[in-house]
Amino acid sequence: MKFLPFVVKHLRRNWVRTASTVLAMAVCIFLFCTLRSVLTAIDALLEASSASRLATRHAVSLVFNLPLAYGPRIASVPGVKRVAVNSWFGGSLPAKKEGKAEGGEGSTTDWSNFFPNMAVEAEPFFAMYPEYQVAPDQFQAFLQDLQGCVVGRKLADRFNWKVGDHFFLESFIPPYRKRSGPFEFVVRGIIDTDRGKYPNTDLNVMYFHYKYLREGSGRPLGAGTYWVEIEDPGQAAAVSRAIDALFENSDAQTRTETEQAFAAGFISMAGNLALLLNTIAMAVSFTILLVTANTMSMAVRERRTEIAVLKTLGFSSGQVMGLIVAEAMTLGVLGGALGIGGSKALVWLLTTTPGIKDMLAGLGLSELDIQPAVAAMGFGVALFLGFAAGFVPAWNAYRARITAMLRPA
Amino acid sequence: MSAQTVPQPTEAPQTMVEVENVRKVYRRDSQELVVLDGVSLRVPAGEFVALMGPSGSGKTTLLNLIAGIDRPTSGRVTVAGTDVTGLSESALARWRSRHVGFIFQFYNLIPVLSAVDNVELPLLLTSLSKKERRERALTALKVVGLADRAAHHPRQLSGGQEQRVAIARAIVGDPSVLVADEPTGDLDARSAHEILDLMATLNRDFHKTIVMVTHDPRAAERAHTQRHLEKGVLTA
Repeated sequence: MKFLPFVVKHLRRNWVRTASTVLAMAVCIFLFCTLRSVLTAIDALLEASSASRLATRHAVSLVFNLPLAYGPRIASVPGVKRVAVNSWFGGSLPAKKEGKAEGGEGSTTDWSNFFPNMAVEAEPFFAMYPEYQVAPDQFQAFLQDLQGCVVGRKLADRFNWKVGDHFFLESFIPPYRKRSGPFEFVVRGIIDTDRGKYPNTDLNVMYFHYKYLREGSGRPLGAGTYWVEIEDPGQAAAVSRAIDALFENSDAQTRTETEQAFAAGFISMAGNLALLLNTIAMAVSFTILLVTANTMSMAVRERRTEIAVLKTLGFSSGQVMGLIVAEAMTLGVLGGALGIGGSKALVWLLTTTPGIKDMLAGLGLSELDIQPAVAAMGFGVALFLGFAAGFVPAWNAYRARITAMLRPA
Repeated sequence: MSAQTVPQPTEAPQTMVEVENVRKVYRRDSQELVVLDGVSLRVPAGEFVALMGPSGSGKTTLLNLIAGIDRPTSGRVTVAGTDVTGLSESALARWRSRHVGFIFQFYNLIPVLSAVDNVELPLLLTSLSKKERRERALTALKVVGLADRAAHHPRQLSGGQEQRVAIARAIVGDPSVLVADEPTGDLDARSAHEILDLMATLNRDFHKTIVMVTHDPRAAERAHTQRHLEKGVLTA
């Protein structure tokens, strides 16, 4: 500790260079923590998936629906326990969500309040989701009301919805829109979960009856996806192949995969996010490593004589090396702290800004936060970058002979 | 500097520096450059020796060997009873911190540190408390007459004052021997005179053994003994 003031005084010597290096390091850690947090949130989303659930969709694209006749045929495949239609409705609240909808094709929607909402075959669907807990009387009321819906606790808290409340949703998907105006829903139940058993369950969702969507739209709709529960998770691959084989020679071929693979595929519609984000983080980190290494090399080169003096005074080569590495790591500590703080601030801003927070919730990333593990990893990266940047010049100082450094360069 | 704060060695050896048949050869590619060729020198404790000679004669190399910042190609250098040629790098560094005070021609103070911080620097290697280190550094500054400039940074001091701070840094650890490489070479006549007075005082009143390299005959006159080097050989 007695050497710390010495290290700090050297960093203050050329404060513009120190500040710019710290800022560069901070940008690197800021990007690392932010990107890592997005990936962590996506991982948590995928981990919430069950290994005993499969998703069957159109082989070409999620955009195309599957015939309703497929449901019973999928249910007949050996190993399949139950099947439920699950269609992404893509509904948003109309600009005026209270009272009667203004109706007609021209009603406007409030995209800033977007959230995931799905039309499902309620009984089989909820039977395969033990993580969703709805009070039995509420669930019965939901089953008996075609306009009924159940909403996650987070969603209910967000819009202050209570059982019995009415609201309207209008889909951006043309076949799911009706001429008379938005669909009207009645909250019949609130979905809770056991956070101890299911920590990653998303409660920012709403489910309603697929039958209501089909009848309300007045069109012959298909199924967006079939959600399939299987008896043995170990047979997921075989059952998936068996389902897809059923429709191999039909117009609408299917693609069946585990819920986790389906969720990963859904997210990857925006590209291979994990690869993209990791590549960005790596590239930025490497660039900052070069910048910091250059800064430290310049700093050490300028101080050749001082290093020689320290050694002459009796500082061992190891101590001189330690001082230089400590200086570089102090840059890492400062940059790391600043970067983590900046990342925390950005995530807070994103998750509290209307519009952006709803978009994140729509992607299932409402829990986006800088987790302590990510912050610790970011700090570790900053320390490593500082160490790596300082090591080569420190090693050169370690090896340099006093008499050589005392000579003018 | 009182005897209480910076104690004198109780049993100073009769011979402080003994250089025995030292050769120093620099190799560059296939060429060999003999800088010192069989030099032997004995400096008794409490002596003030001036090493003189033309540029390239090997004065500074000999001084560096005595200070333990360079190693001879062959031969032996014993300082304060220790054969420094046999010490490892780390042991040599520890030995330097205890036994050698080095005064450079261009002062070589650390610019980001104040005068007192510069003087305190060698004491960071000791087990002294922060308070004790500061007290000793201020005492050393008082000895060189710069107690009132303790908080000044090198850029705020004249050349002569900088050299006095460098001398304070050299003596603060109470070393066995002071080695000075052209200590007045970068100073005007008046400042040079003051520095030489100070070194004479350290030798006379504090019994410091001093080995000084100089070109300046007037500076050399202040030493008890003058030795001359010519092409790597002691001639007188």
